[in-house]
Amino acid sequence: MRPLRLTSGLSAFVLSTLFWLGSFWVALRVGAVSDADFDLVLQLRLPRVILASAVGMGLSVAGATLQALFTNPLCEPYTLGISSGAALGAVIGSALGYDASYSGLAVPAFVGALLFAGVLSVISRRSTSSQLAVLLAGVMLGLLGSSLVAVWMAVSDAQGIQGALIWLMGSLSRARMEGSILSLFGVITLSLLLWRKWRELDAFLLGEEGALALGVSVQQVRTQMILLTSLLVGLCVSGAGMIGFIGLMIPHFVRRFSGSLHLTLLPLCAIWGATSLNLADSLARTAIAPYELPVGVVTALAGAPFFLSILLKRMGRVEG
Amino acid sequence: MVAPNSSPRLSAYGVRFSFSPPRGREPFILGNVSLELHPGQVATLLGANGSGKSTLMKLLSGLLTLEESWCEGLVRYQSEELYRLDSRVRARRVTYVGPDFSAEFPVTAFEAVLMGRSLQSRNWFRLSTNEDRDLVREAMEKCQCWDLRHRELHTLSGGERQRVAFARALAQGAKVILLDEALSRMDLHHQAAIGQLMRQLADQSAYTFLLVSHDLNVATEWADSAFVLHEGEIRAQGGLGTVIREDVLNMLYPGADLRVGESPTSGKPKVFFSNSRSV
Repeated sequence: MRPLRLTSGLSAFVLSTLFWLGSFWVALRVGAVSDADFDLVLQLRLPRVILASAVGMGLSVAGATLQALFTNPLCEPYTLGISSGAALGAVIGSALGYDASYSGLAVPAFVGALLFAGVLSVISRRSTSSQLAVLLAGVMLGLLGSSLVAVWMAVSDAQGIQGALIWLMGSLSRARMEGSILSLFGVITLSLLLWRKWRELDAFLLGEEGALALGVSVQQVRTQMILLTSLLVGLCVSGAGMIGFIGLMIPHFVRRFSGSLHLTLLPLCAIWGATSLNLADSLARTAIAPYELPVGVVTALAGAPFFLSILLKRMGRVEG
Repeated sequence: MVAPNSSPRLSAYGVRFSFSPPRGREPFILGNVSLELHPGQVATLLGANGSGKSTLMKLLSGLLTLEESWCEGLVRYQSEELYRLDSRVRARRVTYVGPDFSAEFPVTAFEAVLMGRSLQSRNWFRLSTNEDRDLVREAMEKCQCWDLRHRELHTLSGGERQRVAFARALAQGAKVILLDEALSRMDLHHQAAIGQLMRQLADQSAYTFLLVSHDLNVATEWADSAFVLHEGEIRAQGGLGTVIREDVLNMLYPGADLRVGESPTSGKPKVFFSNSRSV
């Protein structure tokens, strides 16, 4: 694949943005009863669409970053258990009386995400641990976090185990206008900070040794990245619960036309993450109407087979 | 050739190294290593498997994280301590090329070589300049891999990737290049080409190379001096003639029963097995 030139990079960017706007339109229109009450629909749905965009953006940028950081194509906030750390943080935070409206919960969610990401990076630094071991450790951390969320909710919350479902399967139904706009701003800011490090992320593609030989101070950069991705995941999960596989699928999809360099990869991931979560949420709302599926179920239905297909491809490569 | 009076460019003094703090009588990976590399020198580092060669190579290129291991002694680039340098500055002076060069995700050969320039770029948002691209082209042409520039790394053969890796090191602009089995998968044509390139860079532009190769005859063809690492210590060093001797080699590789001869064309010492099936 030829390196993407500035003009073609820009046109990919513009084209993708059009898709995003299209998904906005779809998400607002699908399931609308008639034109008459479209104003009302707009009022109810606009916060949700903005939140979906913010969360999709954040999760895919975090996924692309984690894939480079651990040089592992199966990494993303959900499979590494960082999302579930964030959910645990948010649940405990809300029990401790943090403001259940949006930005308040982002703080304990960030702490939870950081804690889980920290444990994971300690595991990955052991010289004996392979890519697969890190991934398995992440999956186990994820299970642990999710179980703790379920236990905590069953014991402490009036809604009980029903309330846990929102955290564990993801839901955009709690979106409020101020919170949505705030998180969109937060996600964009954090993504820009990560984007500034695109050279270092590129270097990580050559492996840790390769990055060191290129002059990256690997430990320092890794710490910064883990901090930024934890913030990003904390923000996303506190708003919408755990939504899996967006961070896995979108970077792989975007790499097909943008190449692996993060200068183009990260912004395109952001836009396509927003687009795809808008579409997934529209599907979740309408597929079995009048009931609503948790959006995490929709993304997992697509994402889990995708995960398996990458895994099989890689195993084939190792054996062959 | 080695300029005997020049001050060393890269040096190690009394280096002892272990991946964990020494307990009891657990041996060091590197016991007490001192060596000096000068501008224009092409040296080879000999040693059996597990003698600490790769660790020494990485230590000398600034790749090890000293905070997580145990290290004593000094590694210097000219008069500065290598591990005190900012990592980007270090990468402009010394770089390391390992046996394998690959990327987890699809990256083209050109992009990979350009990464050698990219961390050095200073402009806004660190976009690469035309000058960077020219340097990449020059390096790739020297290493005869310019025609591979649009290919993705994982579609290249081992030897092709090694040429790309060498080009990456050249593009980065470091004058000290440490090569750990970095020519091992190239075919003879390209081994010769890269070997001649090394010699030329050392003689005309005062580059310094330290080369690890288990194929001693490749190493002796291009090197002008050698270090022998045995059980974590430098046991012999100097010009090829003083180091490539049968007693040294048979200490390093007992049971291989090696003989040393002379290349009929270059006059360099060459190593042969003597117990291979003889009539």
